[in-house]
Amino acid sequence: MTWLVWRQHRQQALAAVVALLAVALFLVPTGRQMRAAFDDLGLGTCLRATPQTELVTADTGCLPLSEEFSGRFQSLGLVSLLLLFLPALVGLFWGAPLVARELEHGTHRLVWTQGATRLRWATVKLGLVGGGVALVAAAYTLLVGWWIAPLNDATGYRFTWLFFDQQGPVLVGYALFALALGVLAGTLTGKVLPAMAVTLGGFLATRVAVALLLRPRFLPPLRRAYPVVGATPTESNPLIGDWVISRGVYSAQGVKLTPGSGAQALCDQTAAARCIAEYGVGAYNQDLFQPADRFWLFQGIETALFVALAVVLVLVAIHLIRRRTA
Amino acid sequence: MSDQATPAVLEATGLGKRYRRTWALRDCTLALPQGRIAALVGPNGAGKTTLLHLAVGLLAPTAGSIRVLGRAPGKDPDLLARVGFVAQDAPLYGDFTAADLLRLGVGLNRRFDLALARDRLGRLGVPLDRRVDRLSGGQRAQVALAMALAKRPEVLLLDEPVASLDPLARREFLQALMGSVAEQGLTVVLSSHLLADLERVCDYLIVLQAARVQVLGPVDELLDRHKLLVGPRRDPAGIAGVAAVVRATHTARQSTLLVRTDGPVRDPALTVADVTLEDLVLAYLADPSAGALPGPAAAPAPNRLEVQA
Repeated sequence: MTWLVWRQHRQQALAAVVALLAVALFLVPTGRQMRAAFDDLGLGTCLRATPQTELVTADTGCLPLSEEFSGRFQSLGLVSLLLLFLPALVGLFWGAPLVARELEHGTHRLVWTQGATRLRWATVKLGLVGGGVALVAAAYTLLVGWWIAPLNDATGYRFTWLFFDQQGPVLVGYALFALALGVLAGTLTGKVLPAMAVTLGGFLATRVAVALLLRPRFLPPLRRAYPVVGATPTESNPLIGDWVISRGVYSAQGVKLTPGSGAQALCDQTAAARCIAEYGVGAYNQDLFQPADRFWLFQGIETALFVALAVVLVLVAIHLIRRRTA
Repeated sequence: MSDQATPAVLEATGLGKRYRRTWALRDCTLALPQGRIAALVGPNGAGKTTLLHLAVGLLAPTAGSIRVLGRAPGKDPDLLARVGFVAQDAPLYGDFTAADLLRLGVGLNRRFDLALARDRLGRLGVPLDRRVDRLSGGQRAQVALAMALAKRPEVLLLDEPVASLDPLARREFLQALMGSVAEQGLTVVLSSHLLADLERVCDYLIVLQAARVQVLGPVDELLDRHKLLVGPRRDPAGIAGVAAVVRATHTARQSTLLVRTDGPVRDPALTVADVTLEDLVLAYLADPSAGALPGPAAAPAPNRLEVQA
């Protein structure tokens, strides 16, 4: 049985290794470049030497160096957004055909009428393929973790949308979820292409829903206020790595004055009069944020969530495989 | 009847399978004795594949029950190990070699006679190291059959095994099959929409039409009990010894009747001739309503009970 799984999936395994190497071919040189720049700019030294406080004066400390680093490598961060789709590929090319191709070619009638129950066939197959996927995803996670470390430190973006989504153990969760979704879609549709379409749609919808709706609420966000007007106005220090979910200017009575969730006002003495005229005396900026030290907790919660979803989908798929007729 | 002495290998009682609103198989009651080679015959869509899939557990019955070797198929690995099955078109993994497929058989079956399968394919000249999607249809069918036989099954179910083969390959396939059946002493059900494919090898007949069993019984008994009567044109009713007229054709002066008998026909005006199995099947298939049933095999059991009481 183990041999059968290997025989049927060795090409996919090979493709995965090749893909991993191809990604490494992009990540290793650019990663070395980032590390070099991180040291050459003195950003590493600066970050180690400067204690990072919650509030900082704009354009002081390591912030200018950070800006320079970001300016140089932000485009790289954008390219790496493509990597966000890697787990979906697992669902499309490993998950969807796993059962659907058997049903499409009628080979389930061969393999389900040998001397092993469908339950055994399904558990061994899904166990081994799932293990393989987890292994590849873990290897990729380590690689991308090494690659993205200077970007994390230099920008403090690690916890924010899209950066959170392309590193850490969540990647293993996403990959397993995509696999399970593909398997279930294939079992339901019995055809490879429709199963792929369902998998892609379902994966993206779930990922977006979790990232936008659930993740900000895993734990209640914290609140941080800082004045609009000051001798040397201070703002939240982005390098700490907090995830600011919403930000706005509030009146002294606590009424939100700015629309949306990104605005802040910082006025030194020269602009004080104008700011007071606009926002009133005692106005303050307020951040709702998830503190940086919750990063791994949130990674853990989201990983567990996707692994749990994967388990549920796989159980449903196995149930359907056992019940499925002809 | 000698059939009742051995236990039924394949036994269906009121078996039915419905897909949404259409019945693919209905009220199917039959008992196939051990050691028989049964031809499962009927037009396309008559329910042959449905019956075989029910027998091998790929389908679950909507009504009634089916037992194979005394057990309910499906989810029973012990039973799966004792049943050899080749689905229609002999589905195989196209990118596997025959050797790969045999290894699959070894891996998925507690009992798998690898040597038997290798010998068999070697004798038939089927290359073991070539991808099966590069083999001919006949060779693929042989690979599928070799896999099924290597399980050393007690029952062998083959769904349209020769449909995709040319006449020569058909003959070779059936010869090879018969050789193994004789060696292994198993019970076989072969389906086909053409009786001619199977006529020479089968000794038991199941005719399905429009989802129902129409004719059922050992071939020799069926042939014994059906006669072709030819005589001057006449009303087919009321001939002594005739239980039912399956088909009557008339010309201006002559009547030809294919009848099921329940005793000797001694009408001097009629010539009594034996029927061929093909005539018999065609006669039943031509008239679905007339068929009635299996006269031969279904009735005996209650009669015997009465006698014993």
